This record gives sequence, structure tokens and C-alpha cells, in this order.
Amino acid sequence: MAAADASSVAVAAGPRFHSVLSLARSSLDIVIPSATLMSIVFACFCLPALTSLPSPVAGRVLESNLPLFSPGHFLGTDLNGNDSLSRLVHGGRVSIQIAFAVNLIGLVLGGTVGALSGYLGRFVDALIMRVLDVFIAFPSLVLVLAVAQGGGGGIANTIWSLSLFSVPAFARVARAATLRIREQPFVDAAVLSGAGAGRIVFRHLVPNIAPQLIIFGLLGIGIVIVIEGGLSFLGFGVQAPQPSWGNMIAQGQQLFLSNPSLVLLPSGMLFLVVLSCNLLGDALRTRWNIA
Amino acid sequence: MTKPELTPIVERRDVPWRSWAGGLSSALSAVILGLVLRRFATAVPVALGVSVLTFWILNLLPGNAAWSLLGTDATAADAAQLEAKLGLDLPATERYLQWLRGLLSGDLGKSLASGRPVTNLIAERLAVTAELAGLAVLLATVCAVGMALLAARTPLADRVGAIVSMVGISLPNYVLAIVLVLGLAVHARILPSIGFVPIQESPWGNIKSLILPVSALAFPLFSICSRFLRGDLAEQMEREGYILTAKAKGVGPWSVLVRHALRNSLAGLVTIVGLNLGPLIGGAVVIEQIFALPGIGRLLLQAINIRDVVVVQGIVLVIALITVSATLCVDLLYLALDPRIGRGRR
Amino acid sequence: MEHRVSEAQPISERFAPPEDAPEPATRTPQCVPESTSTRLLEVRDLHVRFQMRGRSVTAVNGLSFGLQAGRCLAIVGESGSGKSVSCRAFLGLLPRSAVVSGSALFAGTELLALTEGQLRSYRGSRIAMVFQDADNALNPTMRVGDQISEAIRLHTGLDRRSARHKAIELLRSLKMQAPEHRIHAYPHELSGGMKQRVMLAMALAGNPKLLIADESTRALDVKTRTDVVRLIEDAKRSRGMALIFISHDLGLAARLADDMLVMHAGSAVEYAPTEELFRHPRAPYTRALLDAMRGLDCDPPPHHTVSCNEIVNGARFSVGCP
Repeated sequence: MAAADASSVAVAAGPRFHSVLSLARSSLDIVIPSATLMSIVFACFCLPALTSLPSPVAGRVLESNLPLFSPGHFLGTDLNGNDSLSRLVHGGRVSIQIAFAVNLIGLVLGGTVGALSGYLGRFVDALIMRVLDVFIAFPSLVLVLAVAQGGGGGIANTIWSLSLFSVPAFARVARAATLRIREQPFVDAAVLSGAGAGRIVFRHLVPNIAPQLIIFGLLGIGIVIVIEGGLSFLGFGVQAPQPSWGNMIAQGQQLFLSNPSLVLLPSGMLFLVVLSCNLLGDALRTRWNIA
Repeated sequence: MTKPELTPIVERRDVPWRSWAGGLSSALSAVILGLVLRRFATAVPVALGVSVLTFWILNLLPGNAAWSLLGTDATAADAAQLEAKLGLDLPATERYLQWLRGLLSGDLGKSLASGRPVTNLIAERLAVTAELAGLAVLLATVCAVGMALLAARTPLADRVGAIVSMVGISLPNYVLAIVLVLGLAVHARILPSIGFVPIQESPWGNIKSLILPVSALAFPLFSICSRFLRGDLAEQMEREGYILTAKAKGVGPWSVLVRHALRNSLAGLVTIVGLNLGPLIGGAVVIEQIFALPGIGRLLLQAINIRDVVVVQGIVLVIALITVSATLCVDLLYLALDPRIGRGRR
Repeated sequence: MEHRVSEAQPISERFAPPEDAPEPATRTPQCVPESTSTRLLEVRDLHVRFQMRGRSVTAVNGLSFGLQAGRCLAIVGESGSGKSVSCRAFLGLLPRSAVVSGSALFAGTELLALTEGQLRSYRGSRIAMVFQDADNALNPTMRVGDQISEAIRLHTGLDRRSARHKAIELLRSLKMQAPEHRIHAYPHELSGGMKQRVMLAMALAGNPKLLIADESTRALDVKTRTDVVRLIEDAKRSRGMALIFISHDLGLAARLADDMLVMHAGSAVEYAPTEELFRHPRAPYTRALLDAMRGLDCDPPPHHTVSCNEIVNGARFSVGCP
């Protein structure tokens, strides 16, 4: 069906393009959020190199508080005269780096711990579950705040403190998924056919829990960016003058009436990133048929 | 012809305690008791673990309350003096054990900053946070049920609901709070931006000061709940046999939705709320900060900032206990709502 | 006149075809010769199509039958032959993707022309349905008594107390033990047979003129099945109801039915009084079914659940049995 419409367009363009186009058309729910995410990431990481943006911390007081579309400052400036676009882009870089790092650590460490716990069962499982219970019962925000404050803020410290939050979360998901897979008859079949533990884990277990973990990681990026934003907003995360979307929002509060873009721009970016992550996660979930 | 005698209905309260006929049979009460005991049994080691973890983290990190209280240009001598006064010069394990001993006699210690007993500090502020969180949960669940029911009946409401809830789970609550404050309070001056009016002073003032914070806190939870409910109701209406039976009986569409479908979704809804209690507390902390509400969240932030270990320990313990009790309530509610669990299986 | 088969003689022997049965000339289903004016239910040329993702799938293809008050019609066929869909169609119980056309006259009123609100007044009070999967057909979070009372109060306007009494009486008449206790039970606490009795009670609550039993004995064991069938029969007789018995089990259907309608892939393959059908089956499909039932040494009808996709592609049953 999609092929029928696309064919007329792509007749001259060859079979490769035709199939890509029809694929794109039928998976709009995946394409749009992915494209949004990729363009935001591209903008944050590549824009400063491609265009000559002023440094996010080199503002002059004379140029403070300029509105949108001012000459030389496309999105205006903030209280200290720093270019808003530059701060937005650099802040985005920081926020995305943190979110990505935290989720990667969570996926690898938490996923392994959870999978092991679910697979080995019995004593090991009970022990790990008790430890996880402590972390989960613990209001994670408190933990994160304490560690973040104690370490003095900053990017690395924020990553570690947020990992304390993501590792147990991933472990819980991995454990639940592993337990569900373990019930399946094909695991018994593999064991009966003489496969070793390693083989079972890598060839059977991991491919089956991977989709769930990936989706959780995707949603986790959204969650961590929001939490990191909250931390920075409260003053515990990334410290000024280093921009992060969170502390930009905090700073922009005072000037909201005169220059709402200072709050609305980083808020909008946060919202877009999280929205795309959620939409993509939803789309993948329906596609891969996971609850 | 004699009038046929009406069969005496065996009312639920007449059913003998050991009857299998349902109601609060001994089997069910045994399950409840078992659950409560098990929960409390695990709560103690968990709470202990939580307090150890907090203490360890707070003491392992550089700096302490003495330095924070004195400020940046304190000398080492002054700091040492204050440390001795506050009891911070004792080794960590001894301080912890001291705290633990105090805990067993109901004393949570004294704040390092103000010297006031921690129990008093918490007691003053717990009501505020409880009101904030409680109203938020209430608002979120009621609105979610309403939205889901409407969405099940009208396709337009379904579309709108889908968009609204997608926005709700993607928008950080501090962003929403900021926009609400700056838009409605500062710019339009409809509602107060900060401050809290206790209910004893003025009920209307109390409500006015809570409208914005409660809405900001409830919105993400509302979105999560309505997403779940919409999906669950739709799945039931499409797939479940008892819906067809109800329709075949001649039951009207609203009654089918509410009396048959919604009833089965409530258990799941309760579970979802339970899962989101942790993020709710975190959200409450941020919201209290933005709206300057004198709750334990704000106290916590202040205490963490100045390294007031004792206060932090106390608050963390209280929060952990509240979380455990809340989870227990959720489980009990689930038991009450889903008759397939706990009652005698055939 | 009793249309019952004695328990001792198995149906296959009772209705064994005479040795010199002529070959059926055509495959067209014959009409049951009755006067149309006294019919309670008259279905003519019923078509049901499902719109699925732009494609149209025909589930029922030009079905026609009639039923007089107090008589029993059995609709038999394999899964997917359209038996349930046709009956749900004229009660308006199909999903929104269904397109229904044709005519279904009930006591002179055209059911397919009624609005949803008007149809609702028919459901339960004039036409009632009992479903096969009692496990799923009862609300798991509602006590059984409340579910029956709901039906009673809908159709009779009694208050809660009286409705509960009536529910107990209904269950008692359906030979349930200790109904005054059972009404407080939840569905998962009851056995299959008890659940079917509850479903029957719900259906009979409104004193309907027509009862449609949709494969309601499928999930039961043989003993319970016979009990339930007997209950349905008794209810039909005592209330003078018409009955449509949908089943895949030919033998069971033959016990109850005055007339039989055999369906395959959405169409009526044969439609005749029960005795006639068994003695002189006309369609090859019917003969194949009967042969399979008797266990003759013949290729059974290909156990070929016709899926919607196959209907789209025009696959039809054709028997290769001599």
C-alpha cells in the first residue's frame, strides 16, 4: 500500500530510495521523534564548531539582557551578557552528555546486576534484592542531592550521583525481564542441550531482555535530563557559570517579565527532548510488542 | 393459595466466620495479617540500611556542618571549636550509634544549625507536605478517572487526552511550576506566588496558596494515570467477555464503562500510584522550594545545604517510613479491589 | 410432540441415512416450509462485513432463516463460519468496524433499522444471549448475585432486596445448590457449571421471548454439558421461549433443535428440519459432517478453520468425499 504511493515518486530514483521512502512513510511514529532528537544532538554538539558562536561565558555586561533576534545574538543575551543561543547549545551538550552517561552506566552496571540476580536466583537474588530495596525505598532525590552537594556540584559529580539512581532502576527492570525469560521453555531446552551458562546468557538471555532495556534506557534519557535539570535548577548540579538547561531556567526567573525567552527557550528544549524520547519509546514499544 | 415464602437471604454479616462464601473470611484476614507482618519485618532492616547509607554518604563527603555554618572565611581553629561543641569531633561510628540509641527512645537528635529538636522541626512541617502531596494525589486520580471515562466515550476527548497526557509526562514539573507562577501569579496576579497559609488561619487562603503548587505536582501523575486508564479501559471494552455480556443484558454505555470496566481498572490504578510515590516526593521537594512552602522538603534542602546531618537523617528516616507505609496501603487496597487475590481459590 | 432423542440410542444410528438415498441434485439450501407470518424472527439476506485496515472481510454472506415462537433452531458449523457473528449482528453487539446489511425482523420490527437506544431496550428483555466462555463472560470483580440483580433490575424495576430474592429463585429453578450463599460469591469461586447457570439466570431475568445460546457448552465437561443443555431445554419449555442454539457439536444440537442450519465460511450450506437433515442431507459439507460424526471411514471434513484472510482470497470448502 505504501509501496503503491511511493512508487510513482520514486520510479526514477531507483529501488533503494523507493524502499527507504516507503519505510519512512509507514514508520512516521519512529522517524519524527528520532529526527528531532538527532537534530537537537547535532545542533548541540556541532553548531559551535560549524558557526562562530561566542563563548557561553564570555558575555559583556553592556550587552546584557538583549531580546530575541538582536544583531550578533540570534536569541538574545542573558543577565550577564552571554549569548543565549550559545548557552542553549552548550547547556544542551552538558545535559545530554550527563543523561547519556548516566543511562549507559545504568544499562551496563544495573543491567548486569539485575540479569545476574534474576538468573542466578536463590541466595544471590535475595541478597541483591534487599540491597536494591534499600536504594528504592530511599527517596532517590535525597540521595542524589546529598551526593551532589557533598561533591560540590559539577558535571562528573552529577553523573555519579544520578547513577546511584539509575543503576537500581535498570537492575530492577533487568531482573524482572530475566525472571520472565527464565520461565520460558527455551531456556530449559538450552540447558538440556548442554549449553553453558555463558552461552545461555549471551545468546539467549541478552537478546531477549535487550529490547526492554533499550526502551527503558531511552525513556531514562528523558527522565535523567529532567532530574539533572531539577538539580541544576536547585543549585546542586551543574554550577554557574557553566550553563545547563536547568540552571538557565533558574537564572531566567528574575527576568521573566522583561525577557521570557530566557526561561522559555531552555524549557522548550527540555520539553522537546523528553517528548521525543517518550514518543520514540512508545513507538518502539508498540513495534516490538512489549507491554 | 399460600404466598410463597421469601427465602431468607443470608446477609453477609450472618455468614459464619469460617464460611467459604466470601466476605472477610478467615483466609483473607490471614493473608492481610501476613502481608502486614512481612512488610514491617522487612521495613526495619530497610530503614536501618537507609539511615546507614545516608550517614555514610554525608560523612564521607568533604566538609561538614561546622564549616558550612561558619562560612567561607572561617579559620581552622574556629571550626574545630564548633565541631567540638556540636559533637562532630567524635568518630563517625560512635556518632551514628549515639543517634541510633536516641532513635530507640524516640529522640531524633538536635539540629546542628538551630539546636532545636529534630522531631519538633519535622512535626511542624509534615502537615504542610502531607496536605500538598495528599491533595495532589487526590486531584490527579480524580481527574485521570474523569478524563479516561470521557475519552472512552468521545473520540475527540480521546485525542485531546492523548496529547495532554503526552505533554504531561514530558514536561518537567519545575518548568510547569515556573511557568504557572510567572504567568498566573507574577504577571496576571490572580493567585499568590509564594507562601503558605495554614488551614487554621483561613481555609480560603489555604486553598489559594495551594492551587498552583498542587496543580504543578499533580499534573505529571495525572498524565501517567490517565494514560494507563485510557489504555486499560479501551482494552477491556474491546477484548473482555464480560463487557459483551453486560451489553447483551441491555446495560447502558455509561454503566458498562463505570460499573464493569472501571471497576476492573482500579486495582491497576492503585498500583501505578504506588509506583509513582517516590517521584512524587521528589517533586514535592522541588515544588516546595519554588513556592516557598514550609514543608519538610524545603527543610531537607536547607539542611543538606549546610550539612546538618542530624536533620537530614531524621527527615530521611521519616520519608522512608512514610514510603513503606504508603506501599503497604497500596498493597492492602489492591487486595481489597481485586477479589481474585487472597480469597479462597477453588 | 416431543422432539427428543432417547438416551439409549445414539443419534448416529437413529438418523442413519437409508441405503438408497438419492444423490443431492444441487447444493442450494432448502427453505423450511412454514408460514412466514407466524415467525418470531425472520432473517433475510444478512450480510456482515468487517472493515479492517482498508480491506473488507465478509463474515456473513447472505444468510436467511426463520424461527417460530417456541421452536428451537440450531446453527452449526466450524469456528469462523459466522454463526456467532450473525446473531450478534442483529442485536447490535458487533464492534464498530462491522457493516451490517439485510433484514432481521423480530415480531414485525426491523432490528437493523433501530437506533442503539431502541436496540438496548430489546437486549435482555426480548432477546437474550448466553455466551460460551463463562470464564471470561462474568465480571471478575463483581459478586455473582449483583450481576444477576443488575439484569433483573434493568428489566423489572424491582428494588434491590426483591431483585436479590428473585435472583435466588432463578438460580434455584436452575438447580443450583444453596443459591442464597452462592450469590455472594465471585465468579472465580464457582465451577464451570455453576457459572453457566449464573449466565443463564442473567439471560432469563428479563423473561425474553428469544434466547440465543452461543456455544455455551463448549468449555464444559460432558456431564455438565448435558446438565446445562437440559436446563436450557426446560427453561425453553416452561417459558415458551424460542431458542437459537449455536454449536459446533452436531449431536448436541440435534437433541434440542427442531430445525438446523449448517453454516460454512459465512454462508448457509443447509437449512432443514433436524430429521430431514439427518436423513437426507443435501450438501456435501453436511454429509461430510455427519459422516465424521458417525465416524465412518471417510476423509473427515478438512479441519479447516476458515480465517478471514482465506475468505478474502475466495477459498471455499469443497469436499473430496465419495
